[in-house]
Amino acid sequence: MLASVRSSTLDGIDGAVVDVEVHVTNGLPAFTIVGLPDTSCREARDRVRAAIESSDLSWPMQRITVNLAPTCVRKVGAGLDVPICLGILAASEQIPIDSLADISAVGELGLDGSLRAVPGILPMVDVLETNRVIVAAADAGVATLGAGDRVRPVRRLRDIVDVVSEGLPWPHVEPPVDEDEVADEPDLADVRGQASARWGLEIAAAGGHHLLLVGPPGGGKTMLARRLVGLLPDLSPQAARLVTRVHSAAAIRLPGTGLVRRPPFRAPHHSASMAALVGGGSGRVVPGEISVATEGVLFLDELGEFAPSVLDGLRQPLEEGVVRVARSGGMREHPANVLLVAAMNPCPCGEGGSVNCRCGPSTRLRYSRRISGPVLDRLDVMVHVDRPSPSALLDSEPGESSSLVAQRVAKVRQLATSRGAPTNAALTREQLEVAAPLDSEATDVLHQALSDGRLSARGAMRVRAVARTIRDLDDAGTTLRARDIYSAIGFRVRPALGGCDA
Amino acid sequence: MREDAYAAALGGLSGATARRLHALLEHRSPSEAFASIKSGSRCTETVPVEVFAEWQQEIGGVDLVALSQRLDSVDARVSVFGEASFPAQLFDDIDPAPLLFCRGTLPDPALAHVAVVGTRRASSIGREVARELGMSLAQAGVVVVSGLALGIDGEAHRGALLANGAPPLAVVGSGVDVVYPQRHGDLWNQVASAGALVSEAPLGARPEPWRFPARNRLIAAFADLVVVVESRHAGGSLLTVEEALRRNVEVMAVPGSVRNKAAAGTNQLLVDGASPARDVTDVLVALGLSEIAAAGRRSELATESSAASNKGSTDKPKSIGGQSALVLDAIDDGPTSLDEIVHRSGVGVVDVSACVEELVANGLAVYDGSRIRKSYR
Repeated sequence: MLASVRSSTLDGIDGAVVDVEVHVTNGLPAFTIVGLPDTSCREARDRVRAAIESSDLSWPMQRITVNLAPTCVRKVGAGLDVPICLGILAASEQIPIDSLADISAVGELGLDGSLRAVPGILPMVDVLETNRVIVAAADAGVATLGAGDRVRPVRRLRDIVDVVSEGLPWPHVEPPVDEDEVADEPDLADVRGQASARWGLEIAAAGGHHLLLVGPPGGGKTMLARRLVGLLPDLSPQAARLVTRVHSAAAIRLPGTGLVRRPPFRAPHHSASMAALVGGGSGRVVPGEISVATEGVLFLDELGEFAPSVLDGLRQPLEEGVVRVARSGGMREHPANVLLVAAMNPCPCGEGGSVNCRCGPSTRLRYSRRISGPVLDRLDVMVHVDRPSPSALLDSEPGESSSLVAQRVAKVRQLATSRGAPTNAALTREQLEVAAPLDSEATDVLHQALSDGRLSARGAMRVRAVARTIRDLDDAGTTLRARDIYSAIGFRVRPALGGCDA
Repeated sequence: MREDAYAAALGGLSGATARRLHALLEHRSPSEAFASIKSGSRCTETVPVEVFAEWQQEIGGVDLVALSQRLDSVDARVSVFGEASFPAQLFDDIDPAPLLFCRGTLPDPALAHVAVVGTRRASSIGREVARELGMSLAQAGVVVVSGLALGIDGEAHRGALLANGAPPLAVVGSGVDVVYPQRHGDLWNQVASAGALVSEAPLGARPEPWRFPARNRLIAAFADLVVVVESRHAGGSLLTVEEALRRNVEVMAVPGSVRNKAAAGTNQLLVDGASPARDVTDVLVALGLSEIAAAGRRSELATESSAASNKGSTDKPKSIGGQSALVLDAIDDGPTSLDEIVHRSGVGVVDVSACVEELVANGLAVYDGSRIRKSYR
């Protein structure tokens, strides 16, 4: 007998439809899976057999051939367990074959016949068009985002059999509880003092400008960076869906409702490889940290300790907002629209050329050279984060809370949208000409900085975008003033980080 | 064959100490000494038999043409003690060099020579003081003598070059054709073309640590006065000070912060009785060049008052004018962080950043990305 069940597998961050064909015939008992399965998919044999036997069903002692069509697509993961199992049951006439006509299924089987969640469920159900889509109960929330009320969440294999052969109703699965994601985000009110760092966070959040925090250890660079996410507005519906897809594909825990509504925050360790950061892997192309952090914050702590080649690998994605990973199996394009926050010490000992610094000038120079100019060039705002003074730590009032700053940030982001870009940092040269006119004094200041060699032509455009954000945060006036330009230049990245010019 | 190629060959012999070379060249020219070693006649008792035998062997393999080409390639020549081209200051030195490799033109010995020395691991302020001292001294017609090392030495020479005044004089530890530190390659050439670059070490000599105390002795010998800008506790520049004291050369030290480890040695010198050198005027007065010093004071006063009037004229009309003055007041004498300025001045971060950048653009402040300080210029 022959049965066919619709399912799908994960290809990068997209789903690909797979038809699971099962043929059961007389002959020596055997069980083969063909059609480019990976290891975990091939191992379905043992799981499926155990699950069938634990669900009071019988394993056909016949020759079983499973074909995963189309054969050119590589099948990954255990999501095909359930369709393989249903196919075998139908082909061995334990459930009616025509009952599977309008059903597709994605899920992993436990040896006891239970259904387990699989990574990438959202992109996988996205491509399934049948009227009923069987998924594990644990995947119900996320799958509903893709297939709506066509989703049939199920806990056990037995439940499916009961529905399709006995005609029982689909089991009821409790909808997942809605957790408050914002509650987990640390608040800016915890930060005492640090006026310039606060400002740096605000402008980075408002204008989407990549930020560099430089300072000695213990200054609070990491603590500050973690508070940046709390200043960003909720994700738009499209962005939320995109982020959820990527997170689903990258097997990152999703919130209870399935939909990621807050911008993600990712802080990969500095030992991260190129594949870990931009995406890759040998069989399937797994999204890298820069894609997982898309629409959110990518925090690179200890920037100077990252392998220079890995950092240079971020240049193109930062520029274009997408990362293209080419492997022998083909090229995948993943989103990479991040707000980059980098933190580093001014020198290996962290004291940055102050009187306590133990680094020689050549050590400091070598350290500052670890980061290539093109990478530094993409960081629009640099803030020096000092260790807070004791008086600031103990006596001062708590600073503004994240929610207050977030209101200003949202306002500036709206202004940027009205100019035709998601953020001021994303404004094109032409858009900037229109959106950021300079008054005569500001023009003089910019000219002077250009002719002094303190700014490059590209740097001048970046300064203009940052100045636009500064003015937006101030009073949203149309023309940029000398003060806005000066202030933006003042927060440019200085090439000699430790103040070392020897 | 040019005579100094023979001298270069003798200087390059292994174990050619100053004492042995002096003995060798006391009564004969380099070419004569060369010939006598080659012929095997041991002409001086100072050179032990086994060393002499080694020399005889080595000198057989010397290619004088190649040597003179090497001298030409860096435009160097060799002066032998006693010759007219040998620097006059070293004639009556207590420990004179037997021969000197020299690039460029030695400054007129009649000019005052001041050694500006200090640690390689200098603070940014120390570097700046060295540079300004070098510049003002050269402007006042004083030859700046230093060692072209990283940190203070290099900065002193940079300053002297900027001034376009009296020629600089560099005494280096490695051979004149071995640039050390590598990073100062351009500086070497600039000093050699503007003034002179000399070394006791033969061509191709690596910058071995033992060469530097001898180099410091030459710096002290050239100098009429030694200024130590920054020195760590027991730093190498204190060797220069010892050599200076042996020669009765006055030593001055630039006072530093008691918290600055790079100034621990200089502050100790002050405790031990060195005169403080706060600026170029102190140095010029100590040199007895008080007329120039007085002129310097006058021009300084003039620039100060013009700076004060500039302050009034440039700040007021600018949109951020009044705040710039507030911000400038909030900058310490030492380096100050942006947050501290925000705290002291009560001006907002964005405006402080704007004011600082305006001050930097007008040359009134210096910002290295972490700290802001007033410009000394």
